[in-house]
Amino acid sequence: MNTGSIVEIKHLTKKFKNSPEDVLKDISFTVERNEIYGLLGPNGAGKTTTLSILCGLFPPSSGSVLIDGKNIQKDLPYIRKIVGIVPQDIALYSSLTAKENLDFYGHMYGLKGKDLKYKIAYWLEKLDLTDAANRLVSNFSGGMKRRINLIAGILHQPKILFLDEPTVGVDVQSRNAIITHLKELNKAGTTIIYTSHLMEEAENFCTYVSIIDHGKILTGDSPAALISSFKGSANLEDVFLGLTNRKPRD
Amino acid sequence: MISKLTASVRKEYLLLVRDKMGLSILFLMPMVLIFVMTLIQDSAFKTLNEKGIPVVFVNNDKDSLGLLIEKGLRHNDLCSYNDSINGKPATEETAKQAVAEGKFLIGIIIPEGATAAVRKNVNRLIRQTINIDTQSIKYDSSGSDSAEIDILIDPVAKKSLVTAITSSLREFISETKTKIMFETFSRQIAEIIPDKSREPKNAFAQSQIIKYKEIYASKTAKMIVPNAVQHNVPAWTIFAMFFIAIPITGSIMKEKSEGSVFRLLTMPSSYLILTSGKLIVYVGVCLVQFLLMISVGLYFLPMLGLPTLVLGNSFWGIGILTLATALAATGYGILVGTLASTEQQGAIMGSLSILLLSALGGIWVPTYVMPESMRAVSAFSPLNWSLDGYYKLFLRNSEAAAILPDAMKLFVFFITTMAISTFANHIKRKV
Repeated sequence: MNTGSIVEIKHLTKKFKNSPEDVLKDISFTVERNEIYGLLGPNGAGKTTTLSILCGLFPPSSGSVLIDGKNIQKDLPYIRKIVGIVPQDIALYSSLTAKENLDFYGHMYGLKGKDLKYKIAYWLEKLDLTDAANRLVSNFSGGMKRRINLIAGILHQPKILFLDEPTVGVDVQSRNAIITHLKELNKAGTTIIYTSHLMEEAENFCTYVSIIDHGKILTGDSPAALISSFKGSANLEDVFLGLTNRKPRD
Repeated sequence: MISKLTASVRKEYLLLVRDKMGLSILFLMPMVLIFVMTLIQDSAFKTLNEKGIPVVFVNNDKDSLGLLIEKGLRHNDLCSYNDSINGKPATEETAKQAVAEGKFLIGIIIPEGATAAVRKNVNRLIRQTINIDTQSIKYDSSGSDSAEIDILIDPVAKKSLVTAITSSLREFISETKTKIMFETFSRQIAEIIPDKSREPKNAFAQSQIIKYKEIYASKTAKMIVPNAVQHNVPAWTIFAMFFIAIPITGSIMKEKSEGSVFRLLTMPSSYLILTSGKLIVYVGVCLVQFLLMISVGLYFLPMLGLPTLVLGNSFWGIGILTLATALAATGYGILVGTLASTEQQGAIMGSLSILLLSALGGIWVPTYVMPESMRAVSAFSPLNWSLDGYYKLFLRNSEAAAILPDAMKLFVFFITTMAISTFANHIKRKV
């Protein structure tokens, strides 16, 4: 069933075999097409688990997940073709060059030949990595690795892009380059689902934000609407701290 | 599909060739092992076959029996003949001491008057048998009519080896005694029967109506002697091929630790495609290993004065068996890599299991020297199936058909490991 939403999650729960309680507790939300959806929460809130289920990495304990109108448990091969993933950890082969990494991942997404070569060259140029194309990833700085990590997830022009803290630990310049190109990608039609601890970045980047904690969605709206609806909040960070409390998390 | 597989193979190839340590484990380590183990074991083989068992001989007889045994020992490949100890002629006492100290494995002492005793024994027998006048045959009733030959044995020598050697010695001494008896008998009869023209010539030789001819049950007239090279080259090649489990595990673990596996598992590519890349590259590595190790046996070991590896005549058989071994080894590596949770765990699990399977499989020591119970267990080691196959091809010169059961077992092992890996991977994702 194809509606205006590209992602529909209903009553999603997840309990790991050795965890005492549910990591996700009956969460439901939708993501509209072309949205930049921020899923924000402290450590252990359930962000990465939600993204992992949406990527098809492991199945939910209960509930339903529709992506582009397809059920994730029945139509996983289709869903894998239309989604792109930029994981929190650098998911690259350190003893391959940037180009070799992108060539391999591009092939795995079904790209080949001139089309693949063109896309690799295009994105390396866009993210200012052309000169480093033939260098081993092990010799890259953190920011360069992040940028290659991003390209590996967007080479095949996915309909939906999952970003798990894509700018963590990078310099301002690399962060700016990443965010700028993600916005371009979104304008070109890619829906983005994004998690981060960086509230300022989320406030400027996302068109819609949900705050998740202890496996539950606490609230959700556009950043501006959230800030205005919480008294005394000057920014998204105030909203976030107000909802999730100020006590440090493990 | 093909382009994904090609990309996967290319990626694995690049990762492998850039892992210098992994490459050295794959190629240098087994080559060094072949050199070292073959040289060590060849030396042991030479002790037994070329130099012979060190034997000290004390001839107090100085007559026919002692001289014939001495001559026999000097010309016997099984023995390394010595009649002196530290430059001095060996005596009964010094021989006993030298054997006790392990300087010689065997000592043989022929007592004084041994030949005379044998002759006397024959004379007595003739007298008793023919019942003739004692005047016609010279008979000295003084002294013993039996000879006791002492065989000294090194107490730490392996019982089976001692049994084999002493049996051979007893047989040889007995033959020598019989020869003297025949000669004595012939002479005595000739004295009784005056017609010298009827005296039998070479009575002993003519009495040898049963003869033995040792033939190796190989399908070729050319005898291929089992030696250190024939055992060690295929054995350590198989070991090296199975040791591939370590780099495969490392490669799988690195993908897990570097996070690549997260991306791979969420991509529109099957586990089979991803695994096939590893499979093709590492099977290729196994085949290169095989060629290298065989070339060591064919060209490099002979340079060190070792025997040249004999491959037999079935190149189809070698090809089939090597491919089956390579698949089994790679499948095992993928299984270990899939089951292990950390790189350390994988390395320990892989190396220990390969060492165990190789020990059981007859890589370190051939299965025929194992106790029967261990031999029964070794039949479950895939390394043993492979080694048995190479023995059939290299030593028994069998055709390809003879190794098909071994190749089939290895292939079934490969299919089983891949099936378990796929299942384990599926289960691990159901967190």
